[in-house]
Amino acid sequence: MDIDTVTLFFALLAIALQIAVVVLVLCAAAGRSVRSTVVDTVGPIALWAAAAIATACMAGSLYFSEVAKFTPCKLCWYQRIVMYSSALLLVIAAARRDGAVRRFVGPLVVVGGLISSYHVMLERFPNLESGACDPNNPCSLIWFEKFGYVTIPVMALTGFVGVIASLIIHRAWDGASRPPSSSQESHHG
Amino acid sequence: MANAAQPSPKSRRTRIVVVASAALVLALAIVAVVATRKDSSPDQTDASAVTIETGDVTVTGASLVTQPEAPAIDPAIGTKAPTLNGLGFDRSAVSVTPGERPTIVMFVAHWCPHCQREVPQVVKWLASGVANGVDMRAVATSTDAKLPNYPPSSWLAAEGFDVPTLADSPTSAAASAYGLDSFPYFVALDAKGNVTKRMAGELTEAQFTDLVSAAKA
Repeated sequence: MDIDTVTLFFALLAIALQIAVVVLVLCAAAGRSVRSTVVDTVGPIALWAAAAIATACMAGSLYFSEVAKFTPCKLCWYQRIVMYSSALLLVIAAARRDGAVRRFVGPLVVVGGLISSYHVMLERFPNLESGACDPNNPCSLIWFEKFGYVTIPVMALTGFVGVIASLIIHRAWDGASRPPSSSQESHHG
Repeated sequence: MANAAQPSPKSRRTRIVVVASAALVLALAIVAVVATRKDSSPDQTDASAVTIETGDVTVTGASLVTQPEAPAIDPAIGTKAPTLNGLGFDRSAVSVTPGERPTIVMFVAHWCPHCQREVPQVVKWLASGVANGVDMRAVATSTDAKLPNYPPSSWLAAEGFDVPTLADSPTSAAASAYGLDSFPYFVALDAKGNVTKRMAGELTEAQFTDLVSAAKA
């Protein structure tokens, strides 16, 4: 598979995840019964979903840098630090059915999402960083753009939002299935 | 006991979500492969046979010091700029010869978003006659086929940028000789070939007019 094919595949995955997140938000706004159906359905696999999203983001990031040779910029590295560590933690937590990981990964992915948001803004408004391009790989450089808006930082932002959504669903499911008297973090997966 | 083997409606729904997600990923992979399948028919025209994107550049004279990021006084002001000889995209000879007429040399990189925004502005300003009396030369530098908006020849042609443009060498010899630190980069040379002003980044029309005035000084 050539670079264009893989790039398109990850762009389609990002769009699918964006649609899924929008659907989840609409379900959350729809009412208690819809919300609880979604939580009951997705909750048991939410940690695995978060792990899969983060791992897919990590795989895409490694593909773009190591195979496609798209040199990561400074902001890309900050996002990588967050996404790679989150992927590892989430896979371990999903395997151990350890919902406590939310407390550690949650803040990480929120920070990652904020960095991605700034990176997306920088692509649209390069003057936020400076009025000129550093010849050595500026963060405003757009390596590719699919469907008129899907760039690498947009994919990263989508991944962070997807992980956050999964963790929120897992928290709701975990809370709903926890015995009322329990004060310990439960370990559903 | 038979009921114990039956999955609950909740877990059945969860399984459906898992299977549907996996099927969706597979379907997207197939779509990506099909959509990017290459057409095996040969190109009707091979423009790359006649155009070049980088070329050998001969630098004659001392190189300018690199432009400081926040210069109180640019140390290159008043120094003689080097002569550049090379080729344009169409392989015609293009040179930057300081000392003949007031000149502005503009350095752009095809992948640089600031350059992409600045070039149409410069086209507009040149059309309005802001730079009358000054020779404009451009250098397409830091060219890399892996980077976006390649090739620079197509990009500049699409923008209607008709300034004589030198295709810099793969090692950006022209940019180095003129002390480039960031893009887009402008160097104003007076009629004696001395540097009178250097500016980097997206310029406003007023800043570009200042640059023209500096070249004419």
